[in-house]
This record gives sequence, structure tokens and C-alpha cells, in this order.
Amino acid sequence: MKLSTGLLALFLFVAGTAAALAAEAVPAPRLAGMRRLTETEYRNSIADIFGAGIEVQGRFEPDRRIGGLLSASSAILSISPAGFEAYAKMADSIAAQVVDAKHRGSLVACKPADPKAADDVCAAQVFAQYGMMLFRRPLTAEESAARIKLAHDTALKTGDFYAGLRYGMASLMAAPDFLFRTEYAVLDSDGKSWTLDAYSRASRLSYLLWDSTPDAALLQAAANGDLARPQGVAQQTERLMASPRLAAGMRAFYADFLELDTQVVKDPSFYPKYSDAVAASAREETLHTMVDLTLTRGEDLRDLLTTRKTYLNRALAAVYGVPYNFDSEWVPYEFSTDSGRSGILTQVTFLSLFSHPNRSSPTKRGVALLDIFMCQPTPQPPANVDFSIVNDINNPSLKTVRQRLLAHATNPTCAACHTRSDPIGLALENFDSIGQYRTAENGDPIDASATLQGKSFRGAIGLGQVLHDNPNFPTCFARKMFAYGTGANANLVTPPVYRSFVTAFEGSGYRVPALLKALTASPQFFSVPAPPAPVAKTALNDAKK
Amino acid sequence: MSLHRRSLLRGLFQGSAVAMALPLLDCFLDGHGEALADGRPIPVRFGTFFWGCGLTRQLFLPRSTGAAYEDMPQLAALKPFKAKMNLLSGYRAYLDSRPNIQHWSGNAAIATGIAPGGDGQFDAPTLDQIIAGQIGKGSRFRSIEIACSGNKRESYSSSTGGANVNPPEVSPSGLYTRLFGPGFNDGKGEWKPDPSLMMQQSVLSVVAEDRQRLMASAGAADKARLDQYFSSVRELENTMTVELQKPEIIANVTVPEAPPEMTVNKSVPVLKQTVPVFSKLLAIGLATNQSRIFNMALTEPANTMFMPGDSHVFHQATHEEPVDPALGYQPVTSQFSTHSMECFADLVAALDAITEGTGTVLDHSLVLAYTDTSNAKLHAIDGIPMFTAGSANGKVRCGLHIAGNSETVSRVGLTMQQAMGLAVDSWGAESNRTNKPISELLV
Repeated sequence: MKLSTGLLALFLFVAGTAAALAAEAVPAPRLAGMRRLTETEYRNSIADIFGAGIEVQGRFEPDRRIGGLLSASSAILSISPAGFEAYAKMADSIAAQVVDAKHRGSLVACKPADPKAADDVCAAQVFAQYGMMLFRRPLTAEESAARIKLAHDTALKTGDFYAGLRYGMASLMAAPDFLFRTEYAVLDSDGKSWTLDAYSRASRLSYLLWDSTPDAALLQAAANGDLARPQGVAQQTERLMASPRLAAGMRAFYADFLELDTQVVKDPSFYPKYSDAVAASAREETLHTMVDLTLTRGEDLRDLLTTRKTYLNRALAAVYGVPYNFDSEWVPYEFSTDSGRSGILTQVTFLSLFSHPNRSSPTKRGVALLDIFMCQPTPQPPANVDFSIVNDINNPSLKTVRQRLLAHATNPTCAACHTRSDPIGLALENFDSIGQYRTAENGDPIDASATLQGKSFRGAIGLGQVLHDNPNFPTCFARKMFAYGTGANANLVTPPVYRSFVTAFEGSGYRVPALLKALTASPQFFSVPAPPAPVAKTALNDAKK
Repeated sequence: MSLHRRSLLRGLFQGSAVAMALPLLDCFLDGHGEALADGRPIPVRFGTFFWGCGLTRQLFLPRSTGAAYEDMPQLAALKPFKAKMNLLSGYRAYLDSRPNIQHWSGNAAIATGIAPGGDGQFDAPTLDQIIAGQIGKGSRFRSIEIACSGNKRESYSSSTGGANVNPPEVSPSGLYTRLFGPGFNDGKGEWKPDPSLMMQQSVLSVVAEDRQRLMASAGAADKARLDQYFSSVRELENTMTVELQKPEIIANVTVPEAPPEMTVNKSVPVLKQTVPVFSKLLAIGLATNQSRIFNMALTEPANTMFMPGDSHVFHQATHEEPVDPALGYQPVTSQFSTHSMECFADLVAALDAITEGTGTVLDHSLVLAYTDTSNAKLHAIDGIPMFTAGSANGKVRCGLHIAGNSETVSRVGLTMQQAMGLAVDSWGAESNRTNKPISELLV
């Protein structure tokens, strides 16, 4: 997003309305939440604001999966000393690039009267423009004045206007209002409930749909009050969804939903074909498949569990054991009906993410599948369990994983969970730790039959169909999308919250665009709990102190 | 000596004299141990080494306690340093009413003195950060974290408690850049402060001005997060203050060339390559006063270290490998524990290899090595093995095996704090609260 006359007009407009609003007695917005920017949100925001030519090099704070999503941790984590050190360095490096000789012509809108002296007017203009984009709202008078003064003092001491500009810009990018998406709540029109203010709404929409910062038109819709009204929200949602950038936004959600960040290491002595390149290709295959099915072709989400259509490159073709004789890097491919493959469950990503480095694990796969697709996390196993029977690969009567696992699960304490998770994983046993098809283990044929909740099926194709027909999958997907957008823990998103948009999702035949529209239109998407009531000042309370 | 940072800065910023003598900051070792020729104490460092899934009782636990304890096979790699180390056995993490969170309760209790309420969460700041609060300010970095396996989530150091952890360095080249990249100064040759540091400090001053506005309407949880954020801003201000001082390096050390990019993962042969490199860089970083606090995590608690060609990772093996009836333990599992001790020995050796005054960096450090379980197969948290290495410049007696007799693991943490000079007389919560340091260790 380079500087435009539209944005300039917006700043002037905002300055005017802010002055007008200050005259009225509206309750002050309160800070209702803070979402630490994820690495992709940070990178995309910087690229949108300053252009792709600005390099972002640095280390980002680790996040944590809560309720199945990393995004939920953004709402509870802060920034550690080592993390801030890295953010401050990045801020300085980005600011230095913005004002350097190569970029200042296109990125700095005004020219100082004298480049060797301070120029408060020009500095103020630059900070207002980029402050609005970086903070996703207009700067307050104090915020602006502090930067202008910093730039002024620095220019005087260094004899360089652009040095002042650089450090002023760095102070914007090291500020909490950039590194966190600060969400402000205001009283809703009913005068009782609290909801996000228009600028915070703009950020929620933009980071959900584009994985990036609000653009000028979205900030304009916040400034003129459109986003405070359902119709305005719907219009902006339509606009953002019509952009090709929706794919980037959904890829970020899908990667979080499918836990594609999980570290995978395979033992090269068992799986020489597997490499970092294969792992990266496999992630791309899955995301490509998901975006293609849900957005490009606009098909039923549930078909992800049954489709045989995918995209392959040379590295993956080797793992899948299919001929690769195409010119371009990525090509669409459809597995044959007798391939045993069924949707993303049988792609290399899922099969390799949830296996041991050196062998498959029906339990890991089953537990992951229940958690990811059904929102049914499995409790920890008891502390004192004898798993030795599962291990003994030399046992002459228990040659396959299935035989060993079933012997282990006869223990009633273990059975409660294993009867849930293992049938799912056992149905995927035709695929080894990196997702290659196999029909035997240690010389015994693999039996991939299973029974889940009274339904018997065979292999991955049978499993895919059973899960496809299970309404828990689309409901779980919608809950997690809501949690992803709002920073909530998906396990705590209850039916009263999700009913309206899940119903709309179902009504659309499980089309993801329909879900996005219904979800962003639901009042819950922007609602904020009321603040705790202040403790009344009484003699008793005073006496307690 | 009290010196207000801003007054110092103002002086620098306006171009006045910068040759300002600064104190060698927070050291508490005046009566004991080694000091510099002019009487100033040598800086003392504190660090932790963490590995997952414990040791094998039959192979590490000596029958005798005290000074003349027998050599044990699982600790063979540590034998050269026996006189500079202590083995602590038999201490217990008490849970009270809390669950045994597998592969978490034990190590979190050792690190915080509190049995944790949730998986992956610390219920208080970790030991290293408590100590950093007192001694960390005199160096460039408050602390250095390293995840030897390359996984950026494997950090067991938290400044605030909760789910926040300090992000680790995940490659030798990354660690090198952090320690010896831009901002590093070895104090050799003519020295003058980097003028851009002062500008960057004014940037931080502007950022710090946002505090009041944000705090005014934030809820309790966000207030705590803002507190952490603004503490981090202050930490960086401190770092810059240190960088504005002429470094005084006591150790006899030369900064090496940057290491090449290396494969980093949990394969045992890979760890055997990377851990010595991480350790050497860290030791030089400590010797050049880049930090006085470190945390090195070999692996995660449910240790997925593996040996190429073996169908089990460590954690899997602890649960699935049968106990050998003749040996009385799990032979494959025990090999992984031995490898973990060999990696710990790499760290100790690197610290002991750098001379500093008449001793070594190890002599002027205190390292606590600990794990999450005693018997990982059972997720047992009584008798979790721990070690200390280094004497903290004469503050800690070494060469001993101390048996904890089921007393709380907090006794170890309390002892570490007192040895590092903290004025603390009790530590921990509920049954893990103690006011009894391990007196045998304190000089």
C-alpha cells in the first residue's frame, strides 16, 4: 500500500471528525484485548504498508497451540526481553530502509525544506500516514507529538532530516500498538452490551480474510462509521472476499487449523526419500488442495476428506510413487480409484506429521484427527502404563501394529481412549510414516478395517466417507474459524455463539465463502464481554485494607 | 553508586565527554573467591541445562553419598569434572492437590518451586530469571536461551510465568550472530560508543510513553501482558546502556569465525555435532560478558531424541521397551540417557576450557542441570536427578553426592539463589515451600 491521495484525504477527514467527536460526551473506548501479531501477519503487514521491496529479517517469538490453534495464544502471550530485542532491531532495519536513498522517493510523501535540518510539517505528515497504517487507527495527538519531537531533536543533532524520520518511524514499529493488534470496545447501540469499535473491527476483518493489515478503503470505512453498522461490515466483507488476497488469508487459517507448523523429523535410514524439501512440498500440496477446493472451485468443505484430486511436484511424486512427466513445477493430479487415497487425510502432510520418526502410529493419527477435525481432544494417558507389548516387533504372534495395539488396548484403563482413536489410525495403516502406500508389515498383510461409533469401514477411503458424513467436522471447522478470527479458545466456543453461522454454513452446502459471510455478520464476531463492575467504595471495603 | 540512565544519556547525547568510568555492576562476591588484581570481583554466571526423560537409576545413582561416591557408568562422560560438580538425588516434586502433568510437573516444579496448574505453563517466573533480576543487568543480554534441537518452542525459561517463554536460539549461526554480530565489542583497540545507540534509546523512551495510556483501560490479564512488554523495553534500554560502556573482558579468549550452517535436529549423531558448537559459543559469550544467565535445552521433556536406524525415539522407548529381567532396566532407553549426559559433559567441558584469572569460566559459574522425571516409564517425579557444575567463584562446595531423602526439589532452587547472592530465605509454594537450603553445598 503506497501512499495515495485517497489516504491523504482520509487523514484530513479523520482529523476533522476526531475534533468533532471530542466535543461530544461519549464513553471512552476501553482496551478490551491485545493480539500479538503472528509472524505472517507481521510480514504481510509490512509488505502491504511499505511494499515488497522492504526486507524483514529477524526472529519471532514462539507461539503455543491452545484449543487446537496457535492464533489463540496470540491473545494471551506477551513479548519477552529477547523477543523485544528482535522486534526493535527489525523496526530499526525497516525504518532505515524506508528512508534510504533507494526508497525515500516512493515512500516518503513530502520533501523537507532543507534535508539537513528538521522539518516538523513534513515529519508530521509522514507519521500521520504511516502511523494510521501501522497502528490501524489514527495516532493520538500525544503519539504524534512524541514522534515529531524525536525526529526534530534527532535532525538537529545529526544534521539529517531523514535520520530523524528513521527513528520516528522505528518508534512506531517498536510500539505496542503495532506489535499487538489492540482491540478497543465501545458501548453498543443498545447502551448495555459492548462491541468492538470500528477500527478494531477493520483489523479483525482484515487479519481474518487477508492475514494482513487493513487497507485504505477499510480504514476509511472505519473512519466514516460504516463498520459500526452491519450493512457496512457486510459490504467490506464482500469487498475483501472478492480480492485474490482471500486465498492468502485462508491459507494462514488452514495452516493453523491443520497444525502444519508441527516439526517433522524422519529417520533417514528408514526413509531416505524424505527431506525438508519433501516436507515443504507436502505442506504446499495440502494448502493448494484446500484453497482450490474451498475457494477456487467453491465446493463442499467435506469433500476434502474424500477427494482424489491434488497437486504434485517432482519431490512428492517420488513419495507417492506416481510417474512425474510434466513440464511445470506444480501440476494437478488425480489419484486412481484403486490408489487407496482419500482426501487430505491421505496426503503426505497429515500422515507424516502424526507418525513417529521411524514408524507409523495409529494412535497419534487417530488422536490428531479427532482433535483437528472433530474438536475432540483426547485426555492424557494414565501416568503408569506398560506399553511394552506395543513395542515388541519381534513377537512371533504379534507382527503388525494392529495386533500389538489391540493386545495393549485390552487393558480397560487404556481401552476408553484407544477405542476412540485407534480405529481411525488403523484404517490409515496402509500408509507408512511418510505416507507411502504399503500392503504388508513384517510379512503379514495389513488389515485396515475398523469400526467407529457403530459404523464399520475399510481403509482410508472408508474412513474418509465416514468422517465426511459426520456433522462434527463442519461444525468443528466453523468453531475453529471463529476462534481464529477472535482469538478465543475453540474448546470454549459454545453452541449459542456458533449456532447462527453453522446453520448458514450447512444451508449453503458447506461452502467456506458462505461461512465467512455468516461468521463476520454474526454479532458475536465483534462482541466483547462487559468490563468487571468496579468495586463500590464502602466503609467495609476500606476497613478491609 | 547510583547513576540515572537518562542523565548519562543526556551527557553522551550532547557530545560531552564519554570516558565515564562505570562500576562493574551487581556482583556480590567480595569476601570469597577470586577477584581481579585491583580487587574487583569476577562476574559470576548462572545457567541451566535441561534434558528430557531422566536417567537410569541402576546406572547413575551411587550407593554412597558425600565426597567419595563411586563412579557410575551413565555419568562416565562427566568423570573429568567430578571435582567441580555435585550430584543431587532423591529430591521430590510435591503435587499437593494438583495432577501429575506428565513430562511437565517435575521440571516446572524444579524451575519455579510450584507444582504447575496446567501443561506447558509455569506458575511463577523460572529460577534463572529470578537470578537474572539480580545479576543480569550488567551484561548485554539479560539471558541467552538455546534449543539444541532447533525447535523454537523448546525453552524452559520464563520471565513472568504463564505460557510466555524466552525465545531460544535454534542454530549455532543464530547464536553466533546474537552474541558476536552487530553490537558486539571486544574492547580491543580504540573504543568509542556507537552513536546510533543513543538514538535507539530515545526511540525506546518514546515507546515507553505509551504505557500509561494503555494501562489506563486494560483488564487485569492485559495489564500483566503490558507489564511484561514494558519490562522488555526496559531490558533493552539496559542492554544499550551496557553497550555504551567500554567492555572489560577478563577471560583469555578470542572470538572465533562464524560457524557454518549446520543441520539441527534430535538425531543423536547430529546433537553430538551441534551441542559442542553451541556450548563453545555460549562459553565465549559468557567470558566476554554478553550475558550472565543462560538456559540450554537439549530436548523437550518427552524427549524425542533418536538414533538413526532404531525404530524408537527416546520417549517412545521409555514406554514401550521391556525391562530386561537380567539387567533390571531398559537397555535402549538407558543409552539415550547416557547420550544426554554426554551432551551435558560437552557444555561443562566448554565452560571449563576457557581460562579466566587463575580459574576457568566454569569455576566462576553455577550451572543447574535437571530433567522432568526420575523413571520416565512411570512419569515418576520423586528422585529426579539433578547436577550442579561450577562453584560460583567459591560459593558452592563441589565433588559431593547429596541424597535428598524425599525432601522438596525447592531446596535445590533455594540453594542456587542463595549461592548467587540473592537475599531470599524461603522459596516455593505449599509442600514445595522451604526455608532450608542444602547447607552442605553452601560455603
